[in-house]
Amino acid sequence: MSETAPLTADGRRPAPEAGAGRRVVLSTHQLTKDFKGLRAVDHLDLSVCEGDVFGFLGPNGAGKTTTIRMILGLIYPTEGYAQILDHRVPDQRLDALRHVGGFVDVPAFYNSMSARRNLRMLGRMSGEVSEARIDEVLDMVGLSERGDSRVGSYSHGMRQRLGIAQALIHRPALVILDEPTSGLDPQGMKDVRELVRELGRQGTTVFLSSHLLHEVEQVCNRAVIMNKGRIVVQGPVSELRPARMWVKVLTGDQPRAAEVLRRLLGPGDVTDGGEYLRVAAGDGLVPEMVRRLVAAGIDVRAVVPAVEQGLEDFFLELTGDSAEASQETERPHDPSEATP
Amino acid sequence: MSHLRREIVKVLFQRRTYVGWVGLLAIPFIMTLALRLSSDQPPHGEGPPFFSSIAGNGLFVPLAALAFLSFFLLPLVSSMTGSFVIAGEAETGTLKTLLTRPVGRGGVLLAKWFVAILYVAVGLALVGLGGAVAGGLVFGFHPLTTLSGGQVGVAHALGLIALAYLIGLAGMACIVSLAVALSTLTDSSLTAAVATLVIVLVLEALGQFSYFDFLKPYLFTARFEDWFNLLRQPIPWRPIWEALLVYGGSVIVLVTLALGVFRRKDILS
Repeated sequence: MSETAPLTADGRRPAPEAGAGRRVVLSTHQLTKDFKGLRAVDHLDLSVCEGDVFGFLGPNGAGKTTTIRMILGLIYPTEGYAQILDHRVPDQRLDALRHVGGFVDVPAFYNSMSARRNLRMLGRMSGEVSEARIDEVLDMVGLSERGDSRVGSYSHGMRQRLGIAQALIHRPALVILDEPTSGLDPQGMKDVRELVRELGRQGTTVFLSSHLLHEVEQVCNRAVIMNKGRIVVQGPVSELRPARMWVKVLTGDQPRAAEVLRRLLGPGDVTDGGEYLRVAAGDGLVPEMVRRLVAAGIDVRAVVPAVEQGLEDFFLELTGDSAEASQETERPHDPSEATP
Repeated sequence: MSHLRREIVKVLFQRRTYVGWVGLLAIPFIMTLALRLSSDQPPHGEGPPFFSSIAGNGLFVPLAALAFLSFFLLPLVSSMTGSFVIAGEAETGTLKTLLTRPVGRGGVLLAKWFVAILYVAVGLALVGLGGAVAGGLVFGFHPLTTLSGGQVGVAHALGLIALAYLIGLAGMACIVSLAVALSTLTDSSLTAAVATLVIVLVLEALGQFSYFDFLKPYLFTARFEDWFNLLRQPIPWRPIWEALLVYGGSVIVLVTLALGVFRRKDILS
């Protein structure tokens, strides 16, 4: 595994430049799937580079699981193909799957066997697996103490964790996780997200399907938003935000503050919100706003986000009724990543 | 070999494996006990083949058990075993777990098919051994009276019984193969099992009508009683070889069909 980009202070990997000297681990090329006349995935082009923790977002029915099934060779594309490292799926499925671990939908195991035996059996299908490695992955997902219990006695959350363990058992270059926190309690969600973050820190490429947008914001560096089988937008997570954010400004002299800010931003970007001024300002404009207010001798008491408009709002904005306009709203990070 | 080992381990870890085998093992013991205790035994020449001969010779018990089970219970067990091969794993979701690993679909299917036949083989062996033990304990072993009226020694008879079971297994391999083929077409093992039984019953019905006599040489279901020829003197080998040929041909066609479907199947469950 090649060296990956250094981490930021909060442990997140900085948004990498797709294709900027990094190896593409997973890509899809015009990947399409029809089911009885219904197009589930429509000429999908995406690429995931080495070291990415890549979010794959979309509402139910967007085509996420169908895409993952095609990537894993479980279903055959109507058109196009996926590529894992140098191997095309479905044509070179076996070679490709040696480099992949993951699960789709709910992870399923042989209930009458222990977790350890399941891992041993599944791991050996991808190569030799030592008992020490089995212990290691059980420990990683917090199942060390229940490793010898029958999987039939496991809760849903434990099965999810075991699903992650089996995905990691053979140290794959690419880990594909389909809604890994689905059905977990808050602590379980937190643990799994931390685990995914840790995988990213270790340089493992993770392809994470989720409909929990804040989850993607927390753990991923790049993401695709998909709707009705098509890519709506893809790029670094930090860029998948509306360009303008609203903030609430409270000062000692609201009328004068409004005047100063209107001069700075324009009249339409400052409205009277009663107790507060409601100001449309990007992240970079807030310091300048405060400087101008202070320079005008106005006492600044608070500047807070007016609406917590993050990826979630952006996602709803994009997928709500804009499927037809998806190509127009696309904001690819790299021109080469643009969907046709 | 790793496919086979994995499938064998999976079967051995399933409780229903042992339930099925214990059930099959119980049949010859129940038959023996019922006959031993029954004061109202069927007259000679009536009842299922060999049934009336059991009381006198323990060697008839495994043969009678084979004849008795071949009509329904063994086809039922074979169809259920074969139908679980793909559809059962699809139902439980483990099929996708297996196929996201770097394993060829053909190898997976062939290993599963073979282990399903192995399961039926062990079940048949338990019936045969159970019949021999129960019959031997209750009635003792005596020279076997053949259908031609002659007698063969105990050792020779045991050899013929083993051969009869192998031929019976070949017949059941056809049903397993049919069930495996159908299990690649559905994600419900129950549907596959019921469909298998329906097809077997329809084929058996076809064999009963003279209008369809032209089909009879090719129907594996019309050959399930051909092992009876082993109990004639001299043994007419031709119908036995023909039966094995039909069985072999049916298995090849059905397994090829199953492979063709499974290799292109979209795994959606």
